[in-house]
Amino acid sequence: MTRLEQLQRTVFRHPGGPRGPELASRIGLALGTAVVVCFVTGLLSHWIQHPPAWFDWPTDPVWLYRFTQGLHVTSGIAAVPLLLAKLWSVYHRLFEPPVVGGIVRLLERASIAVLVGSMIFELTTGLLNIAQWYPWKFFFPTTHYAMAYIAIGSVTVHVAVKLPVVRRALGSPLEAGRADGGVSRRAVLLGVAVASSSAVVAVVGQSVPAVRRLSVLAPRSGQGPQGVPINRTAAAAGVEALARDPNYALTVVVGGIARTFAPAALAALPQRTVTLPIACVEGWSVSASWSGISVVDLVAAAGGEVTGDVSFQSLETSGIYGRSVLPVRHARDERTLIALTLNGEPLDIDHGYPCRLIAPSRPGVLQTKWLSRIEAS
Amino acid sequence: MTAIRVLLALVGIGCAAYGVTLLLDQNPQDLLSVAIWFGAGIVVHDGVFAPLATAAGLAGRRILPRRWWAPLAVGAAGTVGLAAVAIPVLGRSGAVAGNTTVLDRDYGLGLASAILVVWAVVGIAELCRPSRITGLRAADRSRPDDPRA
Repeated sequence: MTRLEQLQRTVFRHPGGPRGPELASRIGLALGTAVVVCFVTGLLSHWIQHPPAWFDWPTDPVWLYRFTQGLHVTSGIAAVPLLLAKLWSVYHRLFEPPVVGGIVRLLERASIAVLVGSMIFELTTGLLNIAQWYPWKFFFPTTHYAMAYIAIGSVTVHVAVKLPVVRRALGSPLEAGRADGGVSRRAVLLGVAVASSSAVVAVVGQSVPAVRRLSVLAPRSGQGPQGVPINRTAAAAGVEALARDPNYALTVVVGGIARTFAPAALAALPQRTVTLPIACVEGWSVSASWSGISVVDLVAAAGGEVTGDVSFQSLETSGIYGRSVLPVRHARDERTLIALTLNGEPLDIDHGYPCRLIAPSRPGVLQTKWLSRIEAS
Repeated sequence: MTAIRVLLALVGIGCAAYGVTLLLDQNPQDLLSVAIWFGAGIVVHDGVFAPLATAAGLAGRRILPRRWWAPLAVGAAGTVGLAAVAIPVLGRSGAVAGNTTVLDRDYGLGLASAILVVWAVVGIAELCRPSRITGLRAADRSRPDDPRA
């Protein structure tokens, strides 16, 4: 045994200790599952916000986006301890000779660096985003989206390379090749399960109100004016004066003809009350009772009919979130409201007073607040 | 299996290449920031976190009796997992100016309580049925400590 090998044995207890393919492949299976769920749900959220021509997102069940986006954030949280454990289980390989080696060795190391770098990047930026912390220059949504392809791509290449090893390791007994009575692989897997599930419980309450009180690390406790948290305040959007202007009126353009509706005129139209969740891209969601005018009724009152997508413009004109396009399927759904009240009270200014859009199964960022103009074709 | 592996590799390379083209649409300053965060993730893990974790494991094995290793490893894993997801909220209560509905908990207290719960569960499980965590038979447990450790 060379001195380097002896040192490796002492430091990493490999071979003989818990590290090895039998452990790494089992943790990898759990991590891979979380990563695929996270990637698919993230892709759905991206497509809802930037719909390709072939994409169609249903209005039922109304909680569908709440579910998929809650799952996106939760699977990402679950993946944090899984990734740390996976890296722990193979860390000794970083020091395996030859440390530099030939071109094949360098390529292998470079591909692992891309895999590790992109995974850490995705989980770190996602975790910081749900806590609204942006200590970087790049724009989070586009970068997180782009890097997701690099991460899922390098995971897929890694599976392709390791498939024979993984198959052999998953077919072997968990403790195969263990030399002594130290920490068993079973204990390590138990530790990983404890770490991943406690991280999930500590955050998932922002998506699952039943366990809210247990989620001591959730960026949202679920509290807020009228029982609903806020992402962007009226002050941050710079719309306070415009929203409270006594001459405020909502412009509705149908077939090129504009009509205006003062708040009293909106209140005089037939009102509906629906229970719909508001579900943020950051994973938190809250169900609430909204009342107001159906978009179909409002367009009818303006002398038209919903035949295509409907666009919504906020009083907020700076930034990219002051505008949204509602697909025809959602616009035609009678539960899609221009809401005037939330949980029985006139909308709080931070929830979009005088009126806001609320539609079933859509990201909160597209539920435009402080509406100024609606355009139907 | 070779066909599946080749297919996976091609799909993987295609996805990653698409991701790179999406990234390259950004301006140079943003790209530099992406590169810094990408590299920093690897350096912080491989150069700081992993050596510390390895050193902690090495020290623990030298100092602590062998029968404690498994329960302590489980508790330590739970602690690290919770601490990792606490990083972006810890010390940032009320950090988003003007919005009291985000970062609206006492996260220091929250993290401490969650860690305490993990260790309490590990302790109780170990007291009730030690073999549940260690997975070792009584014969293994009575074996003298390995001098190599």
